[in-house]
Amino acid sequence: MKLTVFTLCCVILMGYAPQSLSRPVSYPGGWTVMQKNDKNAHSLHVHYSPTAKYSIGYRTEYWRGEEWQFHGAQLNYLVKRHNAATSQANFYLKGGLGIAYGDLGVPDGEAQPAAFADIALDWETRRYFTSYENRVYYAEDIAKFFRQKARVGIAPYIGDYGDIHTWLMLQVDHITGERDNISFTPFVRFFKNEYLAEVGISDKGGILFNLIIRF
Amino acid sequence: MKISITAILFMTFFFVFPSLAQHGEHEHNHNHEGQVAEPSAASNDTGNAACEDTINIKVSGLVCDFCARSLEKVFLKRGDVGGIKVDLGKGSIVVAMKPGLTIDDATITKLIADSGYNVSAIHRGCEHG
Repeated sequence: MKLTVFTLCCVILMGYAPQSLSRPVSYPGGWTVMQKNDKNAHSLHVHYSPTAKYSIGYRTEYWRGEEWQFHGAQLNYLVKRHNAATSQANFYLKGGLGIAYGDLGVPDGEAQPAAFADIALDWETRRYFTSYENRVYYAEDIAKFFRQKARVGIAPYIGDYGDIHTWLMLQVDHITGERDNISFTPFVRFFKNEYLAEVGISDKGGILFNLIIRF
Repeated sequence: MKISITAILFMTFFFVFPSLAQHGEHEHNHNHEGQVAEPSAASNDTGNAACEDTINIKVSGLVCDFCARSLEKVFLKRGDVGGIKVDLGKGSIVVAMKPGLTIDDATITKLIADSGYNVSAIHRGCEHG
């Protein structure tokens, strides 16, 4: 039932929405730092783009409830980008490989191999934004689950290049496993120049705070 | 004494704000030597480049300010580009070349692709007004 509701929400959101500001692939020679926080986890991803098609970097995550953490390498690959006159759409594949440490279910401090795979889609105009992303986690005895999220957004005003841009957005998050639930997080996205920040609070009371900087 | 203080303030001002100092230099060149000032490399600025030294590029997919920063990064890494101005409303960029220098269409297309976009049209010099 939850999956059906979530899928329905995604279809609706993808039908209405548009823009991917947190591109996981930058320009050749570009560095990006992404620090994200929500009610489930904190993450840091630093990546470098050798070309405009892929980026590689370091990723770490800390999942608060289960008290486990991931450290590893992440590869982001731009499968397809469609540039239209007034919109852009992207299709990415992402994958990570590393180690996980957990305090629950395994001996303290014992590291286990961990991996994740990810599909991400987005479409955007200057007024609308929509995206969908899912991820499968595998960390042996520590964690195995599936997470997906969809986002829609609208810009209340159209800013010029260099202005402070503001987006009103909604994120729908579905996670399986012990946490199995769907959450809704309205949030505000601001960006100016190479800096982007997102602040919101979910219907479960979790705070969302994301920061992205591009060099 | 007042002159010394004023001079120190001016030096401090131009040291702290080098871009303003550069801008002042442009105006000086333009106004007093009758030359076309070299465009500033500051972001979204094509300076006072004469239209014959500019390239207007229509870009598809240009919808996001944050993402379009890549255009500045890619073009301004080059020694022959003096400045770049991004216009999200028109979906275009204007590249100001340093006097006497130019970039061929194939290179422009590659630079735009590296920035994450596609070229729709390239207009050189004064033809785009």
